[in-house]
Amino acid sequence: MTASATAPACVECPAHNVANLTKLGVDLSQVDFVVALAGNPNTGKSTVFNALTGLHQRTGNWPGKTVTRAEGSFGFGGKRFKIVDLPGTYSLLSASHDEEIARNFILFAQPDVTVIVVDATCLERNLNLALQVLEITDRAVICLNLMDEAKRRGLQVDDRRLARDLGVPVVPTAARFGRGLPELNQAIAEVASGRTVCKPHRINGQSPALADAVGRIAAGVEGLLPGLPNARWVALRLLDSDGDIAAALRSGEIARLQNASMPAAAGESPQPPPRAEPASASPDPTALVTEASTLRWRVGPDFHQTLVESIYAESARIADRAVTHPGDKARFDFDRSIDRLVTSRALGFPIMFVLLLVVFWVTIAGANYPSHLLSVLLLDTIHPWLKAASAAIGVPGWIDGLLLDGMYLGAGWVISVMLPPMAIFFPLFTLLEDFGYLPRVAFNLDSLFRRAGAHGKQALTMAMGFGCNAAGIVATRIIDSPRERLIAILTNNFALCNGRWPTQILIASIFIGGMAPPYLAGAISAAAVVAVAVLGVALTFVTSWLLSRTVLRGEVSTFHLELPPYRPPRVLKTLYTSLIDRTLLVLWRAIVFAAPAGAVIWLVANVHIAGVSIAAHAVRLFDPFAAAIGLTGVILLAYIIAIPANEIVIPTVLMLSVLVTGISDVGSGAGVMFELDSQSATQRVLEAGGFTLLVAINLMLFSLCHNPCSTTIYTIWKETRSARWTAVASLMPVAVGIALCFVTAQLWRLVSLL
Amino acid sequence: MGPLAALCGVILLTTAAAWLFRPIRGRAWRWLRLVQKTERVLIEDALKHLYDCEFRRAPCTLQSLSGALEISRNHATALLGRLEGLDLVNRSNGSYRLATAGRREALRVVRIHRLWERYLAEETGYAAEEWHIEAEHREHETSAAEAEEMALRLSFPRYDPHGAPIPTPSGEIGPAVGMPLTQARLGDVVEVVHMEDEPEAIYGQLLAEGVHLGMRLRLLESTPHSLRFEADEEEHVLAPIIAANVSVVPIVMPVATEPARHLSDLSRNEEARVVALSPACRGIGRRRLLDLGFVPGTLVRVENMGPGGDPVALRVRGALIALRRDQARFIHVTAAEKGVAA
Ligand SMILES: Nc1nc2c(ncn2[C@@H]2O[C@H](COP(=O)(O)OP(=O)(O)O)[C@@H](O)[C@H]2O)c(=O)[nH]1
Ligand SMILES: [Mg+2]
Repeated sequence: MTASATAPACVECPAHNVANLTKLGVDLSQVDFVVALAGNPNTGKSTVFNALTGLHQRTGNWPGKTVTRAEGSFGFGGKRFKIVDLPGTYSLLSASHDEEIARNFILFAQPDVTVIVVDATCLERNLNLALQVLEITDRAVICLNLMDEAKRRGLQVDDRRLARDLGVPVVPTAARFGRGLPELNQAIAEVASGRTVCKPHRINGQSPALADAVGRIAAGVEGLLPGLPNARWVALRLLDSDGDIAAALRSGEIARLQNASMPAAAGESPQPPPRAEPASASPDPTALVTEASTLRWRVGPDFHQTLVESIYAESARIADRAVTHPGDKARFDFDRSIDRLVTSRALGFPIMFVLLLVVFWVTIAGANYPSHLLSVLLLDTIHPWLKAASAAIGVPGWIDGLLLDGMYLGAGWVISVMLPPMAIFFPLFTLLEDFGYLPRVAFNLDSLFRRAGAHGKQALTMAMGFGCNAAGIVATRIIDSPRERLIAILTNNFALCNGRWPTQILIASIFIGGMAPPYLAGAISAAAVVAVAVLGVALTFVTSWLLSRTVLRGEVSTFHLELPPYRPPRVLKTLYTSLIDRTLLVLWRAIVFAAPAGAVIWLVANVHIAGVSIAAHAVRLFDPFAAAIGLTGVILLAYIIAIPANEIVIPTVLMLSVLVTGISDVGSGAGVMFELDSQSATQRVLEAGGFTLLVAINLMLFSLCHNPCSTTIYTIWKETRSARWTAVASLMPVAVGIALCFVTAQLWRLVSLL
Repeated sequence: MGPLAALCGVILLTTAAAWLFRPIRGRAWRWLRLVQKTERVLIEDALKHLYDCEFRRAPCTLQSLSGALEISRNHATALLGRLEGLDLVNRSNGSYRLATAGRREALRVVRIHRLWERYLAEETGYAAEEWHIEAEHREHETSAAEAEEMALRLSFPRYDPHGAPIPTPSGEIGPAVGMPLTQARLGDVVEVVHMEDEPEAIYGQLLAEGVHLGMRLRLLESTPHSLRFEADEEEHVLAPIIAANVSVVPIVMPVATEPARHLSDLSRNEEARVVALSPACRGIGRRRLLDLGFVPGTLVRVENMGPGGDPVALRVRGALIALRRDQARFIHVTAAEKGVAA
């Protein structure tokens, strides 16, 4: 792995813009060439990316945006290539975040090669984007992917013809099966090194008025910045009133690109941040922008439409020459019959519910055993062992308590409760997604969400929330409309997450199932838990509706939903990546959030003021209010100190109950969370702590509606970058929860008075 | 404390809070808006109101001003006194009129307001109901330079998205165009050139009825109680008081076009060719549809519908894309050459 910084013969020297790449946070150490990966959604971009980079990749965010960026590297022919996966888009003309990012990267970072992944089965649509990219850069390779599917549908795609028409190398691939990738590597290397010189196709089939306007502005741009390779494209953008490009032209940012692309400038590497003004700025950029603004009218009442029409017309022409159709029959028959089934009036919803139920059942049932194992290992074996070890070497009691009983137990608890369900739920979910089913769920449910002022894709983020709210909130990135995305973020906490299921199940089976005759107990407690989850869904709709009509009124809103073709999921790969992802998330959460919480819990129970522990003081303080809303002070305190993780609420409640009631034969001391093997023992402790049926019901309600756990709050903040929305998202559920508990308590008391 | 009393107390409290904080019209918000309004904002709003009166040829009084600005009579009196002192306004027997300097200032604010409305309509995804409300806020925070920047970006527009003329930077304003819809002749084909965006309630009804700029309609019946007209192959009915807020111009020679349908009216498996996007679809929404491939000349096929008929899944240029019915309505189509596909 040599980092040769010496500049080779200048044909071979890299053309990428070091200053702008660094600004975009791309690490350029040990990199010879930079490759960008562009394409429509679902064309196999990520598959190509993975195939090229193998394990040498990492994901992060685009600076200042909540759009995921994957970046990796590979070596070929003795050179190191950095490759960046751009967001998948249909076009680069609008102002969505994704398009802006892709566009700006190609324009300002000036990658040495832009690989455009196109779907061979619908070339015409994909060429729309390809032609736009070829207007910006002339160093590109077309990766004609999904050739296997094209073949299966009987389409013949003439890649040589396409290469001739587009003026850039075209490599047919089937990335999923690794076919064509060596050739792709070769083509990338040749374009990067300048051995292949591209003469990319430029859009020319425009109306005379459009061509004339573009010609005039382009001449102006060239006059201003001689030698700029994409003057025509800049002209097009000015005419289409692209504010960013106009601003970049006026601020001189585009002029700096022109300097960077001049061959002479590439002698030294890395380049010093170029600050030189263009040789002479005699024509005025502002005047040019003004001219574009007046010329726009001549092209027609809707310039943008004229432009899009002409690009699509050109794509159709090129695609037509390259593709031979077998006769148009039966292209999407398979997809259509699945679609008919899963979205049908009669079966659409039942199929959805059954699938969801299976996912939940597999998660809960499947997590049981590994959870138990982990708990035996971490809590019942390693913990006593550590305690014994620390006692043996004479660690002072409070350090031992803080570290082992507090932090270690907190983290251990979270891992044993949370890891198995997460590791089962999310891979299953990802499989459904890979198959293409999830967008159909959004399709089915959109009309419901529309009535609540929300986006159909919120159905998916809500379902993810049933696994983990933090994951659900990250998943809201799929909603591209800012208003609907905020709604989905603010209401995600009403989806009962995996961390809260155990609480619900335990309380329901002790207090609600316990009232029923034994043969019904299981069914009734299950029904109670499901009722709580359904209440959560109902609250999601109600609060979405309210939010969209009050605080979120007047935010920008758009809708469209892509329904990708069904494709067999890659089971093993999905399981593997999804598993690693979730395991890392849970471990991170356990260490960063749960361990400190464990410490706080231990301290609260062990630090004494005036002879009484802080916990006891707090419980006494909370009791009156808690009684009014039908809870107990212990529960409120537990929810406050166990903010970081819902999983440790019950152990904390048990520990606190023992602490304040002074039961002596259970638990392992102040501040040491515990759980009991037998339900009746648990019930005894809880009842001693003041639990009644009302408190149990309200605890279930409050467990559904209280502030999100701190991981989720942190995630909300990261995704919205707004303290205000984070506060709304955290406090709204608590308010709802308190109201619910209060009303339930009063109704309960009213009924019992009668 | 009995549970019933507690329950009632809290319900009462909640109702009071809901009334106080209900969106836009809630007392709390009104109060907040008033507190946030600086003297300058009040002056600008007052001048706009005076300009509006002048335009409608209605007298501007203390009452009308205090109503329009949501301020007390006393406050309005003081404000008008200030305006007089600044030589922006003249008083003649109980009603107020703009002085030349006042009119210039009013037109400056009106220009910024209408530019903002235009900007919101063309460049963002804000709904039509929001343009005016947003512009009301933003007009006071926009410098002249920013306004000109916006005008440049928008290609120096002459009309706002409701069809009202935008004053030029030097303060000239074109005449309002068209006549009230109520005065159109039966049977004539007319085009909507202006919709009054205030009061909000009436504008909301026009939007709900699907009235938009550039809409072509034919008056079928006019009685003192209702106006019946036909547009886009559909019949609409409006109360005259609402129709009076719409201005139209007659179309001299209506071009005979093929009857266009809405994409949303197609049934499953039907195929059609896009002829146009409705002018009512603007801003990001319009760009999005175009970028997704719904450009004139494109074949579209209704492949599937949601369980309740909404959304519709459309095969367009090889991809399957779902749109909601209200979006699909914006896409006008004609029968594809081959007719209904199998
Ligand atoms: N049959 C086939 N499937 C592919 C090929 N490339 C990718 N896929 C599948 O297409 C789907 C979408 O791929 P992905 O890489 O996520 O697309 P992206 O959205 O462009 O990043 C996945 O299910 C892939 O397994 C290919 O060459 N042939
Ligand atoms: Mg991808």
